[in-house]
Amino acid sequence: MTWDILGHEWAVNLLQEHVARDRLRHAYLLIGPRGVGRRTLALRLAQAVNCPQPAAAGDPCRVCRACLQIERMQYPDLTVVQAETEGGVLKVDQVRELQHSLALAPYEARYRVALLLRFEEAHASAANALLKTLEEPPAQVIMLLTASSQESLLPTIVSRCEPLRLRPLALEDVAQGLQTRWQAPEAQATLLAHLSGGRPGYALALYREPERLQQRQEWVQALFHLLKDGRVQRFNYIKELTKDSNKEKEKPRDRLRQVVLAWLPVWRDVLLRAAGSAAPLINPDLEADVARLASALGPQTARQIVANLDRSLELLDKNANPQLVGEVLMLDLPRF
Amino acid sequence: MSQALYRKWRPHLWAEVVGQEHIVQTLRNAITAQRVAHAYLFAGPRGTGKTTTARLLAKAVNCLADNLADRPCDHCEHCLAVNQGRFLDLIEIDAASNTSVEDVRDLRDKINFAPNQGRYKVYIVDEVHMLSTAAFNALLKTLEEPPSHAIFILATTEIHKIPATVLSRCQRHEFRRIPLSDIVAQLTRLAQGEKIQCEPEALALIARYSAGGMRDAISLLDQLASTGQVVTLALAQAVLGAAAGQSVLDVVEAILAKNAAVGLDGVHRTLDGGSDPRQFGRQVVEYLRQLLLIKLGNAAQVDATAEQRAIMARHAQAFSTTELLRVIRIFNVAASDARLSWQPSLPLEMALVEALESPAAEPSRAEPARVEPPAIMERSSAPEAASPQRSPISPAAPAASSSPARAASPLPEKPVNPPLAAPPPASSKEATLGKRLADNWKQIVALVKAKNANAAALLNSIKTRSLQENILILGFASHVLQSQMEKPANIASVQEAIQQVIGEEVHLRCTTVSAQRSAPPPDVEHDGMVASAVRDLGGEIVDVQ
Repeated sequence: MTWDILGHEWAVNLLQEHVARDRLRHAYLLIGPRGVGRRTLALRLAQAVNCPQPAAAGDPCRVCRACLQIERMQYPDLTVVQAETEGGVLKVDQVRELQHSLALAPYEARYRVALLLRFEEAHASAANALLKTLEEPPAQVIMLLTASSQESLLPTIVSRCEPLRLRPLALEDVAQGLQTRWQAPEAQATLLAHLSGGRPGYALALYREPERLQQRQEWVQALFHLLKDGRVQRFNYIKELTKDSNKEKEKPRDRLRQVVLAWLPVWRDVLLRAAGSAAPLINPDLEADVARLASALGPQTARQIVANLDRSLELLDKNANPQLVGEVLMLDLPRF
Repeated sequence: MSQALYRKWRPHLWAEVVGQEHIVQTLRNAITAQRVAHAYLFAGPRGTGKTTTARLLAKAVNCLADNLADRPCDHCEHCLAVNQGRFLDLIEIDAASNTSVEDVRDLRDKINFAPNQGRYKVYIVDEVHMLSTAAFNALLKTLEEPPSHAIFILATTEIHKIPATVLSRCQRHEFRRIPLSDIVAQLTRLAQGEKIQCEPEALALIARYSAGGMRDAISLLDQLASTGQVVTLALAQAVLGAAAGQSVLDVVEAILAKNAAVGLDGVHRTLDGGSDPRQFGRQVVEYLRQLLLIKLGNAAQVDATAEQRAIMARHAQAFSTTELLRVIRIFNVAASDARLSWQPSLPLEMALVEALESPAAEPSRAEPARVEPPAIMERSSAPEAASPQRSPISPAAPAASSSPARAASPLPEKPVNPPLAAPPPASSKEATLGKRLADNWKQIVALVKAKNANAAALLNSIKTRSLQENILILGFASHVLQSQMEKPANIASVQEAIQQVIGEEVHLRCTTVSAQRSAPPPDVEHDGMVASAVRDLGGEIVDVQ
């Protein structure tokens, strides 16, 4: 098969079958965590339905002009709609614009494909505006939606699509894939697979941008230092972290979010170990530190910290002051 | 491209509508009696037949069949035109995309023209809850008294968003969730029509999963059938991400046995097996809910085999009702947490660990105080050193009280800070003295004022006041004030006043504390919260309790 997707065999088989036997639905909803391969799968489906010279029924050739253009999301009959930035809002005007373009016949392909990415970011009015189109779109239109979870969408949206729930892959599969497809060294591939929690897209992003991995190491090391430090140092750290600098593009809010996201897996590992579970860790490279923390803190404290971190992510989403959120986190961090 | 089954199987006749007999009967009677109202409002959850019924009604009022009871006949010219979506007098408006008042004005302009082919012009306004307030208001007059040839059908899933003025102008019909048995029956019929082979258990699972929405149920069947295989229970479970019943039991057993490791491994095994974390959470909640029903003597409502009942009875016995409620609440949060989690299994893992925490430890949610020696806990609730006389909310107050943050840091506090947090040894005598001083401070100042106004003014300007042994330390904002106070005359008059009020001799010492970024008083623990507050955050010590 030429879909060339890591994992999700059942979903690929299903879609392939749909294309081959001409049983395509008018709307698919791809649900799964970020980086698990939702967009890749959607693009591959768009290629499969529109490739003028398929290798076999339901298999895109992936070398013709149409396939390549779809791959880069530059195809005239592929409309991509998404919020301007990640974490932004998909606006109702974008949906209305899409509805206009969908009313036109395809320019050159068999189907006009609308790809709505991260639909959980759609404004309520945008989601509502799509309802009627999603239920009965014009012929020759396929709607592909991606979202992180079913609960984050209107139930009326979900019930109009054929949902495909993409799950994180087995860690070995990700490691294997990284090694064979992108020639990652074995040790690194294993680490990345664990860190990504079975999301190949995320693992690949980390592999391609080693500075992100480096950055994570720094933050985790900072965490271990902070555990020893007193409040003054902790507050200073947060102050530095959330300083508003115009030079860099990233905002204090996003930076703190990144840091919290780097810490959360560590504490989750501590929680697992403290509870006595032998499940694989997300940070296999920190095994010793995690075990040490787990035996010192116990499951309750660990759970409380995980809950605190999770809560601070939520607060950041709700526009709380990043410095304040960070400081509260620091106050609740035990000294070790 | 084949049409989705839920579109293909949209009912074309009244008899095909499932589960909404109360509405269908009313509408049919209205057609036969030729008493069709001018405005209807269809409300109900998704996939219960609102749009379908609206189209049927539109067909019925325009149908050419002679017998009124036969309308819609589904083979006259008008009925076929409606089925194919080319009937000119059926105007279906997507109110969610055309929300503005302009769209409504446009509608009002056109409604006065007579129908093209049929007897009535039917306006189906779907998702009507999304109309803006202005649009609703613009519609009011037309909705109340439309031209005789117009019929409005409004459809919505969110009735609470419709203004009362609109509600009162429409004949309102509430669509019910379709009962499980009706869904199964309809799915069976549909499967026969589509020549889909399926197991009855799989259809029952689909029906249960769709929670009363026929569209959800048919979509699911469509999805399962599209693999081209026989629709089995196992396939349905795999696609729905439903866990086998056994894994739910394993987790509940682990909770009862208070074994976190087994429980977590059970969760991981289930999720690795391809179950959806939220779905699994919901299944656990559902099971616990059944236990609760049994516990409350409502076992008849539980739908289970005798074998399952025996296990449930045993589990229900093992839980206390409060404990059961607590665990249900915890897992319910995990199952309904809509926030996207970077690690899908995390909410379940946390729920499990939280469920295992003994309820007695519940208060420690706010203060993870396990790691600290108990001595500090006692100290933080030590006898009051002074009363909260001036300002109960002061920067120093949270430091001295048992705030969670303080308790979280197991600082070995040195006992060299008597005035701020009086240590046990000298505390009793000193505490009483300090308390009496604080209680009577106003009186003391008044007494001083009577004799020496200058000294009283100085006393009023002190920044900090603390007691060490029986030396009263007064902190001033500047050196000038301090030297003023240190004049023997002032000292003497203050001492005299204290002697008079409290009846004890107290020595005085004056120090300077600068207002901004001051060094913490020497008697404050160097790395504590109070020191940080004073030094880094520019706090000032107002009162010590």
